[in-house]
Order: sequence, then structure tokens, then C-alpha cells
Amino acid sequence: MAEKFVSMRNLRFLLYEIFDVESLTRYPYFQDHSREIFEMVLDTGEKMGRDLLHPYFAEMDRNPPEFVDGKVKVLPMVRTLMKECGEGGWIGAHASYERGGQQMPTLVLNAFRFIFCAANYSASVYPFLTGGAAQLIESFGSEDLIETYVPRMFSGEWQGTMALTEPQAGSSLTDLATTAEPTDAGYYKIKGQKIFISAADHDGVDNVVNLLLARIKGAPPGVKGISMFVVPQKRIGENGKLEGNDLLTTGIYHKLGYRGSPITQLSLGENDDCRGWLVGEPNKGLRYMFQLMNEARIDVGMSAAAIASAAYYASLQYTQERPQGRPVTSKDPTQPQVPIIEHADVKRMLLFQRAVVEGSMSLIFQCARYVDLSHVLDGEEKERCELLLDLLTPIAKSYPAEMGSLAVSAGLQCLGGYGYCDEFPLEQHYRDMRIHPIHEGTTGIQGMDLLGRKVVMKGGKAFMLYLQELEKTIEAARALEPLKPHADDLQRATETLKDVTGRLTGIAAEGKIDLFLADATLYLELFGIIAIAWQWLVQAVAARKALDTDSIEAERNFYTGKLYTCRYFFAYELPKIEGLARRLKACDGLTVEMKEAFFED
Amino acid sequence: MDILVCMKQVPDTETKIVINPEGTGIVTDGIKYVMNPYDEFAVEEALKIKEKMGGTVTIVSMGPQRATEAIRTALAMGADKGVHLCDDAFEGADSYSTAKALAAAIKPLSYDIILGGKQAVDHDNAQVYAALAELLDISHVSIVTQLDVAEDGKSAVAQREVEGGAREVIEVSLPAFIACQKGLNEPRYASLPGIMKAKKKPIDVIDLAKSGLSADEVGEKGAKLKIRKFFLPPEREAGKILEGEPEELATQLVKLLREEAKAI
Repeated sequence: MAEKFVSMRNLRFLLYEIFDVESLTRYPYFQDHSREIFEMVLDTGEKMGRDLLHPYFAEMDRNPPEFVDGKVKVLPMVRTLMKECGEGGWIGAHASYERGGQQMPTLVLNAFRFIFCAANYSASVYPFLTGGAAQLIESFGSEDLIETYVPRMFSGEWQGTMALTEPQAGSSLTDLATTAEPTDAGYYKIKGQKIFISAADHDGVDNVVNLLLARIKGAPPGVKGISMFVVPQKRIGENGKLEGNDLLTTGIYHKLGYRGSPITQLSLGENDDCRGWLVGEPNKGLRYMFQLMNEARIDVGMSAAAIASAAYYASLQYTQERPQGRPVTSKDPTQPQVPIIEHADVKRMLLFQRAVVEGSMSLIFQCARYVDLSHVLDGEEKERCELLLDLLTPIAKSYPAEMGSLAVSAGLQCLGGYGYCDEFPLEQHYRDMRIHPIHEGTTGIQGMDLLGRKVVMKGGKAFMLYLQELEKTIEAARALEPLKPHADDLQRATETLKDVTGRLTGIAAEGKIDLFLADATLYLELFGIIAIAWQWLVQAVAARKALDTDSIEAERNFYTGKLYTCRYFFAYELPKIEGLARRLKACDGLTVEMKEAFFED
Repeated sequence: MDILVCMKQVPDTETKIVINPEGTGIVTDGIKYVMNPYDEFAVEEALKIKEKMGGTVTIVSMGPQRATEAIRTALAMGADKGVHLCDDAFEGADSYSTAKALAAAIKPLSYDIILGGKQAVDHDNAQVYAALAELLDISHVSIVTQLDVAEDGKSAVAQREVEGGAREVIEVSLPAFIACQKGLNEPRYASLPGIMKAKKKPIDVIDLAKSGLSADEVGEKGAKLKIRKFFLPPEREAGKILEGEPEELATQLVKLLREEAKAI
């Protein structure tokens, strides 16, 4: 039997039973869709994940991209994958019919992408990064830019990237230094350096289209002077043929994990001939980029959950097959050993993984639903979805990334010494996972984004809407007798969240911004645990109701497993907020006061 | 070319098969069904022939309501239309009564070639195509790993696997039934535009009345084969590990082969 890396049953549970994706087909934009179509999308995703991506999971890690004679070489499967994803319409699936897409709901696409990420994270990056970059050009670029670039990106012939980071400007985009000088010919001359750019050079495509941030000469300092440009690796010459664009790859990085995708270092305009085309208006680049960035952040969370899913199934299989030890209640050495899944501590590690994986997935699908609804709703309802999405984005990025790292570690632990060896996939999942708390905004940045921006934006409106969502779920759970204790627990957790948030915003009102933000990462953690508890309760309500009517044994096992995992989360994870709350309310400025000199010796 | 593909929906090959307590069949609750993997080769080959020579690809399938899903999958891959034999009377069919129903559905159609998998992976009988070819009075070539249709569409050269890894090359006049084997091609994935278009493509549903057959000729009633009981093969017993010096081991082994295994 093929190696399992994702539960298709769980994807269907989230799509149909929790987030009711079929209800979207009521709106004109999605009216051509149906469950039958969604099912074929899932089936195709499963097949491609199993046959096209997963077979290269280890090979891409062991044969990473090579930098030879100034060019990046990747495995031939990258070209095959880009071609299949392009010709299959998967790169541009989200786009409108007019733009060559299929108006596919984000919920369904997320499920499709989740399968790819779980099958082989490195490989999945190539097509989906291209889709995101193309979407930016579609949203903000001129018709000319759209016509020139988007169709070739959708077809998988050209790779898309997002090029932000520079040697001196990583988390601090305000310090970007790449310049853009206007010319009379409609393009800008770009000069500067970019680092850590995913897939910005490789031979799996014919060209690379970088969505690049730079400053137009004379622009205001800081983030208000950043513009966005399309800077292709090869530009279209006068004869319609591709020609060099004075964009040089100066090296690739050798990484801990996520090795199948090249991370490049770029030098632009060394010969004063690197051309870029402005996207939208000058100085609005960061705002545009954040459209992609916010989606990219949710994608990071999804990828993290997907890797943790693959690790969970690998460790589950091992624990079912590996005999070791005997029950603690019967140590008779003449009796055969039991599979290690029978030991309570191993079950705890499996439950922990499942709680993280499926809790994270649920939150990510929740966000996808807000994306879809904000697309079809108007006025206040649209604003509600957008605000909730904004608020939850840092959580959807960082909870799966941070907790997924721990979940994969637990998966590796289940295999003992074998988990540490490369004949099992756990060590690679462990390495692949570790990028996620770092890229697309580190966990520290997410914490500051949540507390310093999202919670307080519009007078705390998003936060209030979020509390209403929690309340709705608490009420739904209260109506079901077995879930009442969880409803009470989430109610208390909500009070804690309000209490902590009030204390911190009070500090901010006193003008002590350094104290307010000092432990923003811990606030993010507390907020994240409560958000995942909320999603577990949402799932438990559906599972509880389904158990009342479903008599098929496999289905009953599925729902009962959900209820156990929910119980696990409320019993083992949710109580962690108490310690975090205590620390957050102290506001004693310990880390602010600590001096650099005290760290020595 | 008018190309027909006979396709069956079967349990996913990943399914854990559980036999029902009565031993009359398998537990079907919660089973996921897919297109028979060998039929995927047939669909792919049909699409390739169409791409080269023009024409239409029609999927013919017999099965319950849910078989529509597999027909739609083939339509999403690029086939043009479907014919779905769907009626309670068709249930419980064996290879013969299946072929009979398929033949009834196919006879009124125009066709230059018929493709199908070399066998369905559920019952694994590999009999339907031969019976069908007989009923349609056309030739059939089984276990085909390469197929070249002549430019005039009147004949084809097929390579088929034979014992010992050898290949047999057969020239056949068309129409004929080609039973497809792994290695013939790499089936394409359904594309998203293909999936979106699939639901608008026509599927002609043929019930018993429309098939022109009587209830006695089809399904369980028309079957020549009665399945008495379903059971799993007995679990293999654990192997024996012999210990001792080589001479001793040889003696023990010969004894066991003679007395227990009765192999010598």
C-alpha cells in the first residue's frame, strides 16, 4: 500500500461538513461549480500528489539544485511538474474566466495544495509561488503587463517569485535599498541586490518573473517610498525573442531543509541594463505586496500543517508495526511484545500531532472561507470577513509553523533511533519544517503584527468580531451535553484573552510601547492556542452531531477520533494559556531591561 | 475515428477489502470507487488516437448510479460523451451478462475501434472483452502494450505481452477490441478546464428497456457464473528456520520437502 501523507477523509470533512464549500455555489461567481467538480479536483490532486510529487520527496532532498556556470540546475521533474500544473490549469485556477482561470474557490484550492505540500513540500513551491505572483500582476498591473506575463506564468512556462529581502533589509523592509530609475521608454532601470529569493533562477522553466520591491529615485524614505516592479530574468527583445536582462544569479544557499527548491542571491543592474516595469502606482509597492504576502503567510501555515500531516502518518504507520515492550500491567517476558501504539505515551505523541495538524488545518480552511466570502459579499459582511481574515492571518501562519515543528519532533520521537536516520522520512520532515517559523515574516514579526496592528486596528473591531465568533461556537457546543465542559473551558479562555489584551492595550495607552510589544510573541502563542481550541470545538460539534446519525463503522471511528483529539487539545494544550497569561500580565519589562553586556560569559 | 472505451468503476486499489458476514460479497459502506486503472490506459490511448486522427471518444460503462463519477472523470480527461448502462436489473452480472449488456449498448453506435482495460481489478476475470468481441463479431487483441492505428483507420498493429517477456506483434483489421495493459502509455491527469467542461458533456443513460434486452438476459439472472462464497485466503503459516551443520540441514530439508511439502 502506498505511503499515506494526507487524510482525504479529513479534507472532505473540513470542506463539506465544517466549512460547507457547496454553499459558495449559490453566489454567481462560483455558480458553475458543484460538489462533483470539487470531488474531481480532490481526486486529481490526490493522484498528482501520489504519482507526480511524492516519488521525488527524498530524491529532491538528496539531489538539491546545483549552481553551475552561473545557472541553477534542478531535477527534470520540476519542468514536468510545471508543465502538468500549467497545462492542467492549476496555476491559474483561482483567476477569473476572463483572465484564463476557473474561478475555483480558495477552500477547494487549499485542499488541492495541501495534498501537494504534504506529498513533497519543495516541489509544491514552484507552481504555487508562480500562481501567487501572477495574481499580483493581475490585481495591480496594467493590461500590457498582464497580457505579457500572466498567460505564460499560468501555463507554467515562466516561474513567478516575490523578491523582497536584501542583505540589510530582511524583517525590516523599511531599509530596502534597491533603486529604480525612470526612463523615457516606459521602463525603470533597476539596481541592487536581493537575497533569499525562492526559485528566482532554475532550468525547469524558460524564464523567471520577479515581483520585486525597489525605491524609485527620490521616493520618500521608509515603507512609503517602496514600489513594485516586474523584473524578468529575461526580457522580451524587439524581435520578440527573450534576451538577458542584466539580472545575475550570484549564488544559491545551502539549507537545512526544503532543499528541493533553490534559494537564490541576485545582483541586478551591474551593467546598468536591468529593466523593470512598474506595477500599479509608485510608492504603493508594499501595500500590493501584502496582498500576496498575506496569502503567502496562510500558505506557509498550510504547508507547515501539511508537512506535519505527512510526519504524522509516517509515525502512525511505524507505531502500528513496531513491536517493542509489553503493557506496563503485564511484564511477562514470555509474552510477545506489543506494537508501540499500545503504549499510552506513544498515543499521547500521536494525539499531539493530530491535534496540531487538524487544528491548524481547520483554522487555515476557516481563513480560506473568509477569502471566498469576501470575494462574493458586499458592504458590512465583506468587511467582517476581511477583518477576521486580517486578524487571524498571523495565527494561521505561526501556529502551524511553530507547533508543527514540535509535532514533527514528536513524530520523529515515535520512531526512536530510526527517526533520526534518513531511511525513514521523519528526519527530512523535521528539517523541511524548520523554515516555516522563519520565512514570510518570522514568528516575532507575526506577534508584533497581531498585537501591535491587528488587535487594535479600527478601534479593536476585528478583535470584537473574533470574540463574537468564539461566542457562537461556545453556544453551539453548549447545546450538546457531552461538549458542555469544553464550551465552559473555551468561555474561560476567552475571558483570559480579553483580560490579557486589556492589560496590554492599557500599557500601550500609557505610551509604554516597548513594554506593550516586548512579549508579543507570547501573546501570539496564547492567542493561537485559543484559536485552535475554537477550531477544535467547531469540529467537535460537527463530529458529535454526525455520530448521532452515522452507522458506518469507519465513519464512527473517524468522528470518535475527532472527539478524542478535541478532548486531548482541551486537556493538554489549552491549559498552557494560564502560564502565558500570567507572564503576559506581569509586564515587568524583563527582556527590555536586560543589557547586551549581561549576555557575555 | 469513432472510438469507444469500455470502462468500469471499481473500488480504489487502496481500499481495505472486508468480506461481509454472510460471505456473499464485500462490505461496500465507505468504499471509495475509482476508474479501473487498466481502463485509464484505454482512455489515454483513445485520446491519443483522437488527437492524431480526429473523431470522438465515447465512454461506455455499466454500473450503478455512482459509476457516473468515473464516466465524468474520463470526460474530464478529454473524452466526448458517455453511455451509462444503469438499471437494477444489471446488478450481480458476471462477465458474460456484462458483455451482453455492453454489446446491446454498443451495437447501435458507430465505432471504428473499441478499447478497454485488460481486466477490471475487482473481480479480475479478464473475460468481458473477449465475450463482447464475440457478441459484436469483431476481433480482439489482449494485453496490448503498444498500438499503432493505420492512417486509413482500417487496421492496427498491436504488440502484446506473452510469456517469458517476449512480445507478439499482431496486425488486426478494425473494428476490433484492444485490451490495454500497463506500459501502453502514461494516462494523463484530468485538467481543471477539462473537469469544468466534463459536467456539460452528454451521458446517455440506458436502462433495461432502452437496452432492448430482457431481465433474464442480464445481471444476475443472465449470469452463467454463480459465486457461492467470498472468503479470504488462509493466512500463511510462519516459515521454519532450520539450524545445524550444512550436511544435517540438507538431510532435514530433503525430509521436509518430501514428507511435509510433498514437493519431491
